[in-house]
Amino acid sequence: MQTTKAKSELNLFDRVLDLLSLKPLGAIGLVILVILPLVPPFNQEYLIRWLCAAALIAAASVSFDFTAGFINIVNFGYYAIVGLGGYTSAILVDRFGISPWIGIFVGALSAGLLGFFLGIVTLRLRGIFAAVMAWFMGLALMGLATKAVWLTRGSLGLRVERLFDSPSNLPYYYVILAMMLVTYVITKGVTRSDMGLAFKAIGQNMDAARTSGINPVYYRIVNFTLSCTLAGLLGGFYAHYYGILTPEMMHTSKTVEVLAVAYIGGRGSLWGGAVVAFPFIYAMEMVRSSLSNLPGLNLILYGLLLILVMIYYSGGFAAFFQQHFSKPKNIILYYLVNGKKTA
Amino acid sequence: MKILETQELSKQFGGLIAVNKVSMHVKEGDIVGLIGPNGAGKTTFLNAVAGLNPPTGGRVLFLGEDTTGFTPEKMCHRGLSRSFQIPRPYPKMTALETVLTSAIFGNRLRKVKDPVAHSRKMLSFVEFPMAEETITESLNTLQLKRLDLARALASNPRLLFLDELAAGLTEGELGDIMTLIRKIRDQGITILMVEHIMQLIMSVCERLVCIQFGNKIAEGPTEEVARDPTVTEAYLGRQKKKECSPDTHAGAQVG
Repeated sequence: MQTTKAKSELNLFDRVLDLLSLKPLGAIGLVILVILPLVPPFNQEYLIRWLCAAALIAAASVSFDFTAGFINIVNFGYYAIVGLGGYTSAILVDRFGISPWIGIFVGALSAGLLGFFLGIVTLRLRGIFAAVMAWFMGLALMGLATKAVWLTRGSLGLRVERLFDSPSNLPYYYVILAMMLVTYVITKGVTRSDMGLAFKAIGQNMDAARTSGINPVYYRIVNFTLSCTLAGLLGGFYAHYYGILTPEMMHTSKTVEVLAVAYIGGRGSLWGGAVVAFPFIYAMEMVRSSLSNLPGLNLILYGLLLILVMIYYSGGFAAFFQQHFSKPKNIILYYLVNGKKTA
Repeated sequence: MKILETQELSKQFGGLIAVNKVSMHVKEGDIVGLIGPNGAGKTTFLNAVAGLNPPTGGRVLFLGEDTTGFTPEKMCHRGLSRSFQIPRPYPKMTALETVLTSAIFGNRLRKVKDPVAHSRKMLSFVEFPMAEETITESLNTLQLKRLDLARALASNPRLLFLDELAAGLTEGELGDIMTLIRKIRDQGITILMVEHIMQLIMSVCERLVCIQFGNKIAEGPTEEVARDPTVTEAYLGRQKKKECSPDTHAGAQVG
């Protein structure tokens, strides 16, 4: 009763923000991201392409963190599931001529189905063992994509119909930005509910959670299914944006890239990874293009940053922000960071 | 009314029989102590009943229902709750969230209207000394024990298992715990407690069950069990008879 009353006192803007689980600062960031590709230094095609890549990694890190940061199982097969979504959609569009938009959703569903099984398979395993199980599942999927040449054309690569006819990257950018927002709103909404508490409980102490009446089977499967469905959705975008799929995209190093962004952003925060992804991918692309005589340097940088974060700030950027900037004195700043109090 | 009854309950780990055909019961409203030397199988017994480690033989009857081999979450929903010997906190959660898990998910069959208010009530009931936003990682053992107790109580149990709640406490803290245990009983919650500290057992328990090497060796009112020679023997070893010299005694045992 009390909370509903408190909510009705908010104005429309704050209520929408609350519904989207966004703070005013996050909304401003989103608006900046929307107008960024229209502003001169960023309106070149190759920079918009970078933005697309960053938004994709951002969305992936959010749905990756939904599993890793809450139920504490690092899904090392994450990008293989992204790949599954991509391949499913691409093959359906290629063979049956359906619209890519429908293909993306079917791909997401197929990835969700795999997530459901992955949840069941890893049920009896804890922590690192479940992670290894998921990793092997990913490797198996990649092997399947390489060997089933009749279906996927193997390492030759599968040409995929693109979402839009225009060569411009801009419409794609808005699609992936919307997907990022959807991913965030869904995962954040779920973790803000009672279910989020159950996720955290089974992730942090299985025995205590079980004696408190939480059924780990149910929550783990729900978590995996949702996370993988979102992964499949992103995979569909990947396929219909880049226009070509190779089994290489399912490689573990891709998952590690997402993992690095998610952890540097802040494990268990969801928004941290999304915020960090943009400057991070930009910096990495910069490194890659200016130091092209040193291939693989960006992977070394990932590793270094990850180690530094693990040692000095295990909570990542989100924890850093929470610690130093979450309680500003200024009322306007306070509102921007924390939003209106709802409860 | 018997709230809990075990019939020939056994738990075997490979070739090791940790609990061997233990039959006992707990009456509603009682405080029953489960005692025995280290490694006697007390905690294993509790785990077998509560479902963390399902039994390999025998039956468990809880509130008249056969609950043998039920999962801990099912037992929790039916009204059995437990605290842990070594508290198992959720390291990154706040104290309030920890209690909330149990208040929300432990009460599936008995709706709690306002879980947050309920959790706060539980925290003040166990006299949790810190702020409710404290991250559990930063708590000390005593604070964790109180928190764990609040978590166990938040699911509104009918029967509560306390696994060495008083272990490692000072004299003064012991008094507080005694008062707390009685306070819990006065809420209408039956208690089965594993304990080593005789002072606590003698003052709060009405009945005792003693286990040694997985076998029940005594059961009955506190005074009676405490005076039982087999129980003293289990704890302190056999009393040497005066006429036996150590050599003949050893010889007799070998023979």
